Amino acid sequence: MSRTGEESGQLNYCFEKQQKYKRYFQRLYRQRYLFLMVLPFLVWVIVFKYIPIWGWTMAFQDYKPHFSFLEQTWVGFKYFIELFHDRQFYLVLRNTLVMSLLSLLCGYTFPIIFAIFINEIRHKFFQKTIQTISYLPHFVSWVVVAGIFTKLLAIGGPINQLLLELGLLKEPVLFMAKGEYFWGIVTVADLWKELGWNSIIFLAAIVSIDENLYEAAQMDGANRFRQIWHVTLPGIRMVVFIMLIMSIGNLINIGFERQFLLQNNLVKDYSEVLDLYALTYGIRVARYAYGTAVGIFKSVVSIILLLVANTVVKRFNDGTAVL
Amino acid sequence: MRTRRALLLSLVWIVALAGLGVCSIIGAQKPLELTMFSYDINPNYTGFEDPIGREITKRTGIKLSIEYPVGDPEERIMLMIASGEYPDLIFHKGAGKFVDAGAFIDLTSYIEQYGANIKKLYGPYLKRMRYDLNDRSIYYLGCYGVDSQIWDVSGFELQHAVVKELGYPKMETLQDFENAIKAYMKKYPTIDGRPTIGLSLLADDWRFLISVTNPAVAATGAPDDGQWYIDFETQEAVYHITRPEEKEYFRWLNHMNALGLLDPESFVQKYDQYKAKIAQGRVLALTDQRWEYEEAERALRQAGKFERTYGNYPIVLDERFKRPDLWDPGYSASWGVGISVNCKHKEEAFKFLDWMASDEAQVLVNWGLEGVNYRVENRKRVIPPAELEQKNNDPLYIKKSGVGLYVYPFPQRGDGLVDPTGNTYTTLTKDFIKERYSPVEKQVLASYGAEMWMDLYPQSSEFPLKPWGAAWQIPTPMNEDFTVPLQRCDDLCKKRIPEIVLADPSAFDRLWDNFQKELENLGIHKAEAIFTQLIQERIALWND
Amino acid sequence: MRQVKKGERLFQISLYLFMIFMGLITLYPFLNVLAISLNDSLDTIKGGVHLLPRVFTWNNYREVFTYPNLVTGFNISFLRTAVGTGLGLLSTAMVAYVISCREFVARRLVTALFILTMYVSGGLIPEFMLVRKLGLMNNFWVYILPGLISGWNVFVLRAYIDTLPVSLMESAKLDGASELTIFLRIVLPLCKPILATIALFIAVAQWNSWFDTYIYCSGKQALTTLQYEMMRILQDVTSATTSSMYGINEYNAPRTSPESIQAAITIVVTIPILLVYPFLQKYFVKGLTLGAIKS
Repeated sequence: MSRTGEESGQLNYCFEKQQKYKRYFQRLYRQRYLFLMVLPFLVWVIVFKYIPIWGWTMAFQDYKPHFSFLEQTWVGFKYFIELFHDRQFYLVLRNTLVMSLLSLLCGYTFPIIFAIFINEIRHKFFQKTIQTISYLPHFVSWVVVAGIFTKLLAIGGPINQLLLELGLLKEPVLFMAKGEYFWGIVTVADLWKELGWNSIIFLAAIVSIDENLYEAAQMDGANRFRQIWHVTLPGIRMVVFIMLIMSIGNLINIGFERQFLLQNNLVKDYSEVLDLYALTYGIRVARYAYGTAVGIFKSVVSIILLLVANTVVKRFNDGTAVL
Repeated sequence: MRTRRALLLSLVWIVALAGLGVCSIIGAQKPLELTMFSYDINPNYTGFEDPIGREITKRTGIKLSIEYPVGDPEERIMLMIASGEYPDLIFHKGAGKFVDAGAFIDLTSYIEQYGANIKKLYGPYLKRMRYDLNDRSIYYLGCYGVDSQIWDVSGFELQHAVVKELGYPKMETLQDFENAIKAYMKKYPTIDGRPTIGLSLLADDWRFLISVTNPAVAATGAPDDGQWYIDFETQEAVYHITRPEEKEYFRWLNHMNALGLLDPESFVQKYDQYKAKIAQGRVLALTDQRWEYEEAERALRQAGKFERTYGNYPIVLDERFKRPDLWDPGYSASWGVGISVNCKHKEEAFKFLDWMASDEAQVLVNWGLEGVNYRVENRKRVIPPAELEQKNNDPLYIKKSGVGLYVYPFPQRGDGLVDPTGNTYTTLTKDFIKERYSPVEKQVLASYGAEMWMDLYPQSSEFPLKPWGAAWQIPTPMNEDFTVPLQRCDDLCKKRIPEIVLADPSAFDRLWDNFQKELENLGIHKAEAIFTQLIQERIALWND
Repeated sequence: MRQVKKGERLFQISLYLFMIFMGLITLYPFLNVLAISLNDSLDTIKGGVHLLPRVFTWNNYREVFTYPNLVTGFNISFLRTAVGTGLGLLSTAMVAYVISCREFVARRLVTALFILTMYVSGGLIPEFMLVRKLGLMNNFWVYILPGLISGWNVFVLRAYIDTLPVSLMESAKLDGASELTIFLRIVLPLCKPILATIALFIAVAQWNSWFDTYIYCSGKQALTTLQYEMMRILQDVTSATTSSMYGINEYNAPRTSPESIQAAITIVVTIPILLVYPFLQKYFVKGLTLGAIKS
């Protein structure tokens, strides 16, 4: 009895497993188009994005470009240890994170507001014109923008003149020479340059909201502000969340062009960022390993930030994961 | 069936052979194209399609296809080495990486066999081109003019209006310099309605070296050896900012700032702001090189404000020192063109370089085509007035004519050297420089009893021979015990020197000493020791 | 009711004033660049050129257009922008759609693979070696393939697809529509505004890039892009004014200054891409309803 029972149990189990596989394969078969659709891109992503990751081994080598992989000298965690013992590294890390956070706070919220405002403009031609104009500075290079800002803030520049005339200042101030202003200046310059450009994506999300929702809200007697609050904002929620999560993941990838072009020798303690540091103490002095070690550090931090952001946003998004 | 196949096969063979034949005939007529990488950009490069380029191809059968880096050249070099894909010729500014990678061929035997012109052009300096004590191969041919004479000086600049107003005072020490600026500024607090600026410095990125730290070296009588000062007796290298003499120079800058004679924006301004102030004619004094302020000066000339352009004065810290601007470092030969291991036509490539070193080629690249770009009158080469007019006024002259386009970075004779016909190899002469002086400039010079600015300076014959050449051309080793501390010290200088100059004079000594301690902590002595060894090795190599 | 209307009118007026203000300050850098590009370069050095050229000249543009290869450069730039945007947009949309299908078996894996691309990179040397091994050196496809899909765009698009009503796709499935049909007939048309935005992002990135030309294609004149040629001009002019190496010194006639050339170049490369915008802008208008798709 017991044996047969055992047998039948096993049989049952096998059958269930078979059934499960069968169902699984059925599901796979049903999804064959999805697989076909994504397959070429899987190959693409592996070839172009993951194969080059072998370069990370450089961080553990005394890498010399003319040697082949097998000829390199392995040095273990030497460069990571050096990185974490360098005081300069913590300084540039601080600057990077502070400037990134500032630019996330402003460069993220203002474009949303700006997009909503643009959408509220009734006059179509005016709307289109303003939108086009607002994204023009995106095409002006940082060299030019940095030049405009330094002239604006120079001793004889318009800002000083204005403040002197208004009696807010007694002596002209060398704004660019003050480290404590630098973060603010970079943030404002960035906002000024990219506001319109960054708002395009939000505008696109806003115009895709179903018009019926607005009509329904109007029927309920909601005024424009209520419509923005109850229809527009929830309507672009997903796009806003995903952008937020991805930007948080990117906090450490700051680039260095704008800081480099706006800085001067007197504010270096506030202006130097990680990406420039990696370049100066990496490739510039032919230490490819050091640059790669910084790159790996950045990737790890990014992924941690991304996961944290995703968990937090999930809470705000009624428990639904965004990523 | 079989015959048809055989027929077809033979037909294929015939066509292929015929094709080959045709190709080889065409090949004989087509010039040999060599690829080349150049570290420096040549803004007028035409792809060898200008008259001089075509003439070189006609005479040598070789055409160069030169790649200029559009981005960071170091990046391009890194990828070149990583992939082992070298062009036929490489012009480098630091052979270390290429030599480590085995990218260059040794030219010694080629020079013996085919290098008559090269031997003649470089003469005793060929010895200096050997790589180092362990590897005495010659991997490249030096790029600068051999035995070039220096006629043009920069140094410390003062507006002509200032010296004129003050009755051409003695202009030798920083004190004289300061007095002149102070006196003029007091008299004229504004120029054309804008505030007068005493001395303005430029510290924008690498320009910091040109206008802030190099003047400290020159004003204390030391020759330009990059970041280094090399003791003549002991032949030991020190990081030049650590010299006590230079401390006194920066004390003076600090003092100038305290007096309000230093432009408060000196360490903040960008290059275009600096040029704008100069072009407005309101900066009385500079400590800069001509090529950096020349563009702004041109705007002044165009506006007819000749008295707002600058004269060059041999200012030193005090009487103990001698301005080194005319000190000839000797031929240093550390940057130049080499032939890569990948080159399939090494012999042709070398013969081409040798031809470029010949007198015939030197005249062609410097003067152009006879009868077109210059004429020979009474055995003298002269540039016809119409051609000169174009040269002076047409910005695209070099591009269109090709004259002067292929001088650098190939082997070249220096300014002032005379060929067997009694003419100079290059077109630059003292008279040529003098002709360009404005009337105001000539008047100022006359008042100081000189014909040229260089006449005011200690002459090159007054200086001893530098046994190591120019130290800034010594290839730095790719050794992180050397490069990293040095990079850190350079970064620290950019940060601390502005702070110290702008500080209250009472804090100067304390801040300076702290700065020196920081340099020590960053390991500057270790880097100094490594560089000292390099210097001594170089002297040994050159003298053996 | 009247209160509300009054408030709204006030809002509209302040909105217009604010927008005009914004328009003016964002227009400034561009007008400034335009003015400098049309101003005599020696005069520009003196500073103080703001909205209008002081000494009008075409010389800066003339200098830019003396360079050869600009026409090929423009063609290649145009081609890479067109092909890169077309292929990139299609690829992005396909990946985004697949990972938006909740029941897709490999969804998590594909999602993770594409997310990570945004935050990890092997560095320049391995990427260069890869391109070499794939035979893409001096090949047009090196402009298209390595940067075909950006993870950022994929996830923005997917976030948008997620907001589409699920019922729409389910009812289509019940009607027997295949995945491909749903993708082409329902998802893509509904995403037009976002797709237009992504197209703009890709197009601008393609148009503006020059570094890949420098690294991968500088050996082949016929493949260089307009931006690359412009970078080269800028470098040439910069070095012409600072170096006396190539027989260029104060004794030769001066070239235009780098600032002026920079301005002219900015205008030359920006105008074509600005012309794209109006074509995309029509997708940024309100009034899209799901009703139209349903029927």
